[in-house]
Amino acid sequence: MKPILLQGHERSITQIKYNREGDLLFTVAKDPIVNVWYSVNGERLGTYMGHTGAVWCVDADCILFVLSLLFLSPGKQLALLKTNSAVRTCGFDFGGNIIMFSTDKQMGYQCFVSFFDLRDPNQIDSNEPYMKIPCNDSKITSAVWGPLGECIIAGHESGELNQYSAKSGEVLVNVKEHSRQINDIQLSRDMTMFVTASKDNTAKLFDSTNLEHQKTFRTERPVNSAALSPNYDHVVLGGGQEAMDVTTTSTRIGKFEARFFHLAFEEEFGRVKGHFGPINSVAFHPDGKSYSSGGEDGYVRIHYFDPQYFEFEFEA
Amino acid sequence: MQDAENVAAPEAAEERADPARQQPASEPPPPPEEEQTESGTSEVARTEDPEEEAAAGTEPEVRAEPAAQPEETATSPAKPSAPVLAEGPGGQAGDHQSIDEEGGPDGSAAADAEPRAVENGEADEPSFSDPEDFVDDVSEEELLGDVLKDRPQEADGIDSVIVVDNVPQVGPDRLEKLKNVIHKIFSKFGKITNDYYPEEDGKTKGYIFLEYASPAHAVDAVKNADGYKLDKQHTFRVNLFTDFDKYMTISDEWDIPEKQPFKDLGNLRYWLEEAECRDQYSVIFESGDRTSIFWNDVKDPVSIEERARWTETYVRWSPKGTYLATFHQRGIALWGGEKFKQIQRFSHQGVQLIDFSPCERYLVTFSPLMDTQDDPQAIIIWDILTGHKKRGFHCESSAHWPIFKWSHDGKFFARMTMDTLSIYETPSMGLLDKKSLKISGIKDFSWSPGGNIIAFWVPEDKDIPARVTLMQLPTRQEIRVRNLFNVVDCKLHWQKNGDYLCVKVDRTPKGTQGVVTNFEIFRMREKQVPVDVVEMKETIIAFAWEPNGSKFAVLHGEAPRISVSFYHVKSNGKIELIKMFDKQQANTIFWSPQGQFVVLAGLRSMNGALAFVDTSDCTVMNIAEHYMASDVEWDPTGRYVVTSVSWWSHKVDNAYWLWTFQGRLLQKNNKDRFCQLLWRPRPPTLLSQEQIKQIKKDLKKYSKIFEQKDRLSQSKASKELVERRRTMMEDFREYRKKAQELYMKQKTERLELRGGVDTDELDSNVDDWEEETIEFFVTEEVIPLGGQE
Repeated sequence: MKPILLQGHERSITQIKYNREGDLLFTVAKDPIVNVWYSVNGERLGTYMGHTGAVWCVDADCILFVLSLLFLSPGKQLALLKTNSAVRTCGFDFGGNIIMFSTDKQMGYQCFVSFFDLRDPNQIDSNEPYMKIPCNDSKITSAVWGPLGECIIAGHESGELNQYSAKSGEVLVNVKEHSRQINDIQLSRDMTMFVTASKDNTAKLFDSTNLEHQKTFRTERPVNSAALSPNYDHVVLGGGQEAMDVTTTSTRIGKFEARFFHLAFEEEFGRVKGHFGPINSVAFHPDGKSYSSGGEDGYVRIHYFDPQYFEFEFEA
Repeated sequence: MQDAENVAAPEAAEERADPARQQPASEPPPPPEEEQTESGTSEVARTEDPEEEAAAGTEPEVRAEPAAQPEETATSPAKPSAPVLAEGPGGQAGDHQSIDEEGGPDGSAAADAEPRAVENGEADEPSFSDPEDFVDDVSEEELLGDVLKDRPQEADGIDSVIVVDNVPQVGPDRLEKLKNVIHKIFSKFGKITNDYYPEEDGKTKGYIFLEYASPAHAVDAVKNADGYKLDKQHTFRVNLFTDFDKYMTISDEWDIPEKQPFKDLGNLRYWLEEAECRDQYSVIFESGDRTSIFWNDVKDPVSIEERARWTETYVRWSPKGTYLATFHQRGIALWGGEKFKQIQRFSHQGVQLIDFSPCERYLVTFSPLMDTQDDPQAIIIWDILTGHKKRGFHCESSAHWPIFKWSHDGKFFARMTMDTLSIYETPSMGLLDKKSLKISGIKDFSWSPGGNIIAFWVPEDKDIPARVTLMQLPTRQEIRVRNLFNVVDCKLHWQKNGDYLCVKVDRTPKGTQGVVTNFEIFRMREKQVPVDVVEMKETIIAFAWEPNGSKFAVLHGEAPRISVSFYHVKSNGKIELIKMFDKQQANTIFWSPQGQFVVLAGLRSMNGALAFVDTSDCTVMNIAEHYMASDVEWDPTGRYVVTSVSWWSHKVDNAYWLWTFQGRLLQKNNKDRFCQLLWRPRPPTLLSQEQIKQIKKDLKKYSKIFEQKDRLSQSKASKELVERRRTMMEDFREYRKKAQELYMKQKTERLELRGGVDTDELDSNVDDWEEETIEFFVTEEVIPLGGQE
């Protein structure tokens, strides 16, 4: 399994995402560039310029929209939404009409989740969302849309998970299974379940309708990202020693590895080394035959699985 | 004391007759020791003495006294009467009599007392006194209510009075001399304002009363002069006068102490009866918040008990494994039995260090707080079974813990201070033979683990060579003295059975540069204790005896060229080098408690390199690594080794790994912020040497049984695992089925949201696809990992 190495960022990768078909890979980093790559060979399709600061999140709609504080279609900026503080997470709803993003608690501004309906041009022109949910206790560190676009699922700095209604903004379900910050939430392909990655060294599987905790995957390092395989009962975890601690210790103890767990048994069955900083984001190709990881070291690695991966089975 | 009590009897009786006055005198503040136990732990102390408790209850009134005192004491010295008489005045006729009896020939004192009882102070004019049969119909309150409140209280100065018993009985001719002697002894504690020597038949009665200027002096005198040896026949017993009442209430008849209800703690050694002969260990994790006890098992540790905040710092097992000690701000708690119930508590504020006596009978605790000049509490020795404090000590020097070292059987304990070695004996906790050993310059000492022999060494002093001495106790006979020259430092290493003593001597021989190390091996079991020497020119990193054998291991050299050498002390005294391994990554030696096997570990800075060595044929069985390991712990049977990365020394990857003695890794147990693992010690075996021999002989027979057992449990384990996975899979499938059903139900809604386009499958709308051929240039490039940037 020889990885394809993508070098398109000068700073650490914050998120990577495939489009629905899986032929394109979007990568964002703490530099202002958004890169799009052909996933098959790692050739760069193009870049989106326009940001002035770090880009924390990217989401590609099925018809190729990119939202990341700005809207961009190939070459053209569709809209610019101004916020008071940095945008941490963003996403399109299932129908592709509503966007949601959350802002950081920063410079005296509160943490908010804002909802814009793209069908209503007034909202974008006036920069006024149709709904704004304040979040005072603990800021949102990751969020995704729930199934059917009825709610969003947000992970907080405190380790809490909240399900907010996209219509009323009220909290539908609240659970606290993690003890520390939730770094990433990714849905399964059918959106019925999702996996969270937390600083408390675990990743957990939840049901997306009732937020019921299903499984726990334990490691010894903070988990920055976790992704579910679309066609196997597998989950990949990316993480490692926090970047700020790395310089003070030997590189060996960093454990900058992507780790594969079986979804039902919660047992680890494989590891992929390669990054020399913590892995910040992992993503499965929609066909499940490859996955990619983006690290603090600024590299994105596309890995195609060896045949053994598909043959491997647990004794059960 | 006996006679003093008898004498005091009448007064005390009167006192009770006059309730108004009774209070102040009858309440001695409880002696400090009891106060100690009371505030802290022991219920035993309470039930023992109900009076004590009652006294403690009214204590505040006693406290209120001293405020009024200063001016009152000023009036009392004006009267020449003996302090004891101040107690007497009761206003009734009975009093006078008793005073007469008491005061004996001292008529003036009796006369003194009488008017004062009536007139409150105008003692010099006896003519004003009422006739015998006069009945006063005017109450004193009415008559002189305004001055009454100023009248001297009987408590005046009472607190400052002491009673000394066992004073020599002398005639008037030698009284002056006696007074001089007494004065000399007792004026050390403060100014004596008054003294009284009761006489009978021209001789003193053998007890005296002394009054000090302040109660503090009296307390001081009691504390220090009690037990003072004047001569062979006379040992002073000194008591506070105010304690009389306390002693009076002790009835003459001895009551059988109430039987303490027997607390059934269960079998404290139940863990030794475990069928599989597994061992237990304690684990502290989550940076000390949680403590667990586990059964060690080849497969997975089995949890026995887990508690949050069981201890505030760390835990300790007692030497034979009976108790688990936990540390708290208030003191130490001991736990044991099957459910780890609390067995005993020892109240010692701010306790930091503890030490058990090897027999598990006593506990030594150390706290840097609470020590006061007159009440030593820095180090306390406790009786574990009763929970009582046996003795307190000061801690002046900042010596290494344990400050008190115990002899192997717990009969003696010793402590070293400047130029002295103090040996104490149990259970009295007193100095052995009542005096310490004067050893000028003593640097270190150590008990033999195999007999009551103490080894100590003294450095060179001008022309006198350095000296290592072995001393037998309690006879204090020096059984061996060895002189050494050009000594820089010595370290005493006893073999675990006490068969050998190795003194590691660092020397700078004349005419050479640098330090040479000599290992002086004392063969303790032979006549005259012969000594043999091994010399080494390299730096010594570590030394360790084989616990049950005659081998020792030495790590020597400078990093990165470190070697380990194994020596064998033969029965004829020859010391033979068995084997030397060079290029070792090690800084510590860990022998198996059963000997033969050894783990050489390069802890901390050496990244946790491990070498498992069998010293019977000197083969390295395995080389391994537990990255950043900070501790190595053998189980008490020598079957398993645990290496661990403690959160106390390293903040990540805190875990403990279990290995067999051959170095086969069995388990990796990651625990969040793991701090400490301690094996529960086992008491010494009850088998005789012959029985052990027999078992070793029949080993083949046993090993067959055990191997079969192992196979069984292994296949059971894999079966269990498969079974567990199967149920997990079934549960998961069930969950997925439900989720899928829900998903299918929502299909229409999804279609609606996506404008009628089915996006459920990747290729669900192939018809819409436009085919486009793109030519990719696929280049393969080999990138060395980690080489970038």
